[in-house]
Amino acid sequence: MGLNYLVSLGHYVPELIVCITMFSLILIEAAHDKDATSKPLIGLTSFIGLISAFVILVLNLSKPGLSIFTNSIVIDSFGTFAKIIMVLGTLGAIYIAEQSSDIYQKLKSEFSIMAMGVLVGGMLLTSANNMLLLYIGLETLSILSYVMATLKKNNERSGEAGLKYSLYGGISAGIMLFGMSHVFGVLGTINFSEMATMIPNLTSDQMLILIPSFLLFFVGLGYKIACVPFHMWSPDVYEGSPIPVTAFFAIVPKIAGMAVIARLTMLLFNNDSLLSVSWIGALSVMAALTMTVGNISAIGQRSVKRMLAYSSIGHAGVMLLGIVVVSEIGLRSLLFYAFTYLFMTLVAFYIVSFVNDTYGNDHFDRFSGLIYKHPIMTISMIIVMFSLAGIPPLSGFVAKFNIFSAVVAKKYYVLAIIAGINSVISLYYYMKIIRLMVFKTSESENMILGLTLRNQLIIGALTVPVVTLGVFWEKIIGVAEQATLLIQ
Amino acid sequence: MITLSSYLMISLALFLSGLVVMISRKNIIAILLGIELILNAAALNFVAYTRFVNDNIEGHIMSLFIIVIAAAEAAVGLGIVIRFFQMRESIHIDDAAQLQS
Repeated sequence: MGLNYLVSLGHYVPELIVCITMFSLILIEAAHDKDATSKPLIGLTSFIGLISAFVILVLNLSKPGLSIFTNSIVIDSFGTFAKIIMVLGTLGAIYIAEQSSDIYQKLKSEFSIMAMGVLVGGMLLTSANNMLLLYIGLETLSILSYVMATLKKNNERSGEAGLKYSLYGGISAGIMLFGMSHVFGVLGTINFSEMATMIPNLTSDQMLILIPSFLLFFVGLGYKIACVPFHMWSPDVYEGSPIPVTAFFAIVPKIAGMAVIARLTMLLFNNDSLLSVSWIGALSVMAALTMTVGNISAIGQRSVKRMLAYSSIGHAGVMLLGIVVVSEIGLRSLLFYAFTYLFMTLVAFYIVSFVNDTYGNDHFDRFSGLIYKHPIMTISMIIVMFSLAGIPPLSGFVAKFNIFSAVVAKKYYVLAIIAGINSVISLYYYMKIIRLMVFKTSESENMILGLTLRNQLIIGALTVPVVTLGVFWEKIIGVAEQATLLIQ
Repeated sequence: MITLSSYLMISLALFLSGLVVMISRKNIIAILLGIELILNAAALNFVAYTRFVNDNIEGHIMSLFIIVIAAAEAAVGLGIVIRFFQMRESIHIDDAAQLQS
């Protein structure tokens, strides 16, 4: 027994590295002088920790799946790929936080510490194989997120964002637990792989309890990925939080939630029972609603950050389509979509962060005439906006195309049409910002602050995958192809 | 005679009253109390199902963890409420309306 746990720990190295990095960050933070203005060691430590976790995850990618810790955690290449995306997202968000002045200088180290904590929660969520670990992972993710949203602690908007996040989060976690308790009562186990063997042959009485219970269960997960009708918190929280935190929220919790929903769907609802049909039906309705509401609400926004929040709701809807099809192709296209979404989001938020630092807000007007001042940055922004809208030959197009082809292969034509219409709607508001940047003249002569050569290089480097993944996408699809789910 | 259904009725009542509290009360502290009611309903369900139906300890462990995590969540929630109160001098949920555009 004890030896088993030691062996299991050996498969759990990336998470352990992130944990150790978090604790050493706390110690380094404590060792610093209270009024120290810069803490270079914090950035270095988090960078080293995340890079080593990334390297080990990449090495683990081709290993066969296995379940550890007495079958409560599953390590498989699907989860590992999702973890890689999350680690890269955290790395990008921490770098934005180092550069941005939207977070108080004194609290930058706290941002890194809490981002690590959220990352641990997300990794746990991604590989959870029973309801207990799912709940613990979700709450580790959530509780630290509430604090991160309030990080700008003298700012009323940030405080309000944290308040709304924690109230909505508490409610949805409670509803999810209530659903879980009935699932446990009917099926008699909290382990997902044991549930999977029972679900195909249920009596109709059990089915009657399980269908609403699983829908209540979904509330907690749907809230994390901000899918309609549980999205109400998302625009407010995204707008109120500091920009690096918003960038972080748009990537890590979203990918973690997607991964856990994909795992549940593939494991439990990969059959023809009434329960599976209703779960998939509910998911498809929510995916369609999420895309439509997200994209239509994004049109009228004045703040770019809020626009990006609504557009990320729309993207969550498209990613849900990859889950709805319940197939290996769907999972593969979901992972590819998440991978491209990571780079596009990082670049967009990076540029919004600099504009916000210069002008004090991020309204659309602040972007006008940007191309005459900072051509490289503006071209990156244009590429990213085209890619988010799904214009060929950029990576956003390939990602959307993969998901659409998986949906069409399943003959869900209505969903494919809705997704296509939404793509067109999203083009409108992405074009609006491009039009402002290129064809309007700027209202002030001020240059954007903080755009050093290094930052321009990093923006350029992050834009390169957005373009190249659109052309050479077979490589990453090949990697994602190995990323299968372990189903026992 | 106390049976499973009595426990389930009580937990359902707790759940519904929690929902009603969250929807109807405007005081943020009261909303946090409503969240606690919902979490307790779930914990009670886990214990009752373990006692009457499934003879394993998983449900007990689940309810213990629910208690612990609910405490952590309440602590963070109250901290955020205190911060909000220091800035606005109010714990009325309608005062948290700056972010709607």
